[in-house]
Amino acid sequence: MPTIKINKLDKYYPGENGETTHALKDINLEIQDGEFVCIVGPSGCGKSTLLEIVAGLLEHTDGEVLLDDIPVNGTSRDIGVVFQDASLYPWKTIKKNIAFGMDISGVPKKEQEERIAKYVKMMNLSGFENKYPSQLSGGMRQRAGIARALVMNPKVILMDEPFSAVDHLTRCTLQEELIRIRQEEKKTVLFVTHDINEAVYLADRVILLSPRPSTVQEEYDISIPHPRKRSDEYLVQKAAEIVAAISIGADKQEAVEYYI
Amino acid sequence: MAAKSRESVVLQPVSKSGTGKASKRNITYINVLQVLTVAALLGYMEYAVTSGKINRIFMASPSSIVEEAFHIAADGTLWPHLILTLQEVLVGYALAAGVGIIVGLIWTMFPKTEAYGNVFCSAIMAIPKTAILPLLILWFGIGFQSKVVLIFLFSVFQILYSTVTGAKQCKIEYLKVARVFNATKMQTVFKVMIPAALPSMFNGLRLAAATALTGVVFSEMQSAKAGLGYLLSESQNLLNTPRMFFIIILVTLISVCFVKLIAAIEYLLCHRWSRV
Repeated sequence: MPTIKINKLDKYYPGENGETTHALKDINLEIQDGEFVCIVGPSGCGKSTLLEIVAGLLEHTDGEVLLDDIPVNGTSRDIGVVFQDASLYPWKTIKKNIAFGMDISGVPKKEQEERIAKYVKMMNLSGFENKYPSQLSGGMRQRAGIARALVMNPKVILMDEPFSAVDHLTRCTLQEELIRIRQEEKKTVLFVTHDINEAVYLADRVILLSPRPSTVQEEYDISIPHPRKRSDEYLVQKAAEIVAAISIGADKQEAVEYYI
Repeated sequence: MAAKSRESVVLQPVSKSGTGKASKRNITYINVLQVLTVAALLGYMEYAVTSGKINRIFMASPSSIVEEAFHIAADGTLWPHLILTLQEVLVGYALAAGVGIIVGLIWTMFPKTEAYGNVFCSAIMAIPKTAILPLLILWFGIGFQSKVVLIFLFSVFQILYSTVTGAKQCKIEYLKVARVFNATKMQTVFKVMIPAALPSMFNGLRLAAATALTGVVFSEMQSAKAGLGYLLSESQNLLNTPRMFFIIILVTLISVCFVKLIAAIEYLLCHRWSRV
């Protein structure tokens, strides 16, 4: 049964001089329960826009987004979001940052403590609970950002280029951790990235968006089980396929612009 | 010589990063020079005034300033004036801080109120506050009230605008996080926007603390029956130069302490998380 269903989604941005930008055009997607889907595409193609619409942070112009057959109107407890630079509050300790969502929804302190303890352990943040974000590395901050989303126990986790701000080695570690957590927690994950290798390594399915106005250009099933090897020939080939498809999309756009 | 200068070039960065806090307390020859400069200046003042090279009306010797300080503290002349000035500053400043922060938050929460009120506040802010002192005296008399109102006007806009600026600088991501967790408007303001605005808010509070004292001394000099500013202009009329010097020093110290106090509150609230 699909968790997220996106039907004929359109998004226009009002631009300057009354011109509108057509960001997303007729996006149709179904994401199954427990599936890990990566969205890739050329920069500026509206990956993050799509994610923010699903998160309920952004209004869409036309079409619908359904979560378990209920239209998404605004943010929802069932959807957790992990932001690009973690976006922790600098004035709160790591622990208080993780507790933020529970504070907002009035979860009793005792339950908060238990849940925080669980996710601090899961995200390898033990010993850093009382540190402030400025005292932590980018990787640790993003761990806290993920813990903050997971602690609310949402059905779906949306991740907007979560590992783009950390160095390569940290990124690899975080990827391994994400795979492990996802298997432990059985979450549906929608993951936006511009790193094709990351996408094929993590995902069950990779969605390639075309340049603006974005549509689903191509879908790739990555049908090998975890644990995967980064150097796996199948993955390397898939990645090459996607890279080739991106450049075809980019060429088309250039040609169109040229003839206009 | 060459070896020595090379040594100091090499040692400087080491002592900075290596010994950390301890190196800050090291007394350098620059500090010694500074102390000597001040001592020489004071010594010359003492000599010039006592020997009669400079007329006692124009300059006070350090010893006579100290003497005068003990004198007016001992005979009780100083205290009522000092207490009154402190009261005026504290009441005016507290009102300004309260109103500035509250209006700033209202503006942030309801942008239409800012659209409405901004033009009026900018207009009033543009008036040199000292120019409306005669009017304030007409309306509120020459006592406590007119001083409080003037200090209020001196400080409130700085606090208001730094609060608004701080809240506006709140990163869009911070607000997105609040929305993802379905925070109400109140929760967003109190748990996200106010903490995010704190550093800028304190910037305004610190600047306003310095100007508040300027305001009160000025207005007391113009027209008052008491207060340090009154005492200052009175000692001018009596040609009591040591007392003038003492009051200037006292007002400076109060101003510095006031600013330090605000900085200390800021430190207590923010030092653990704000980047050093």
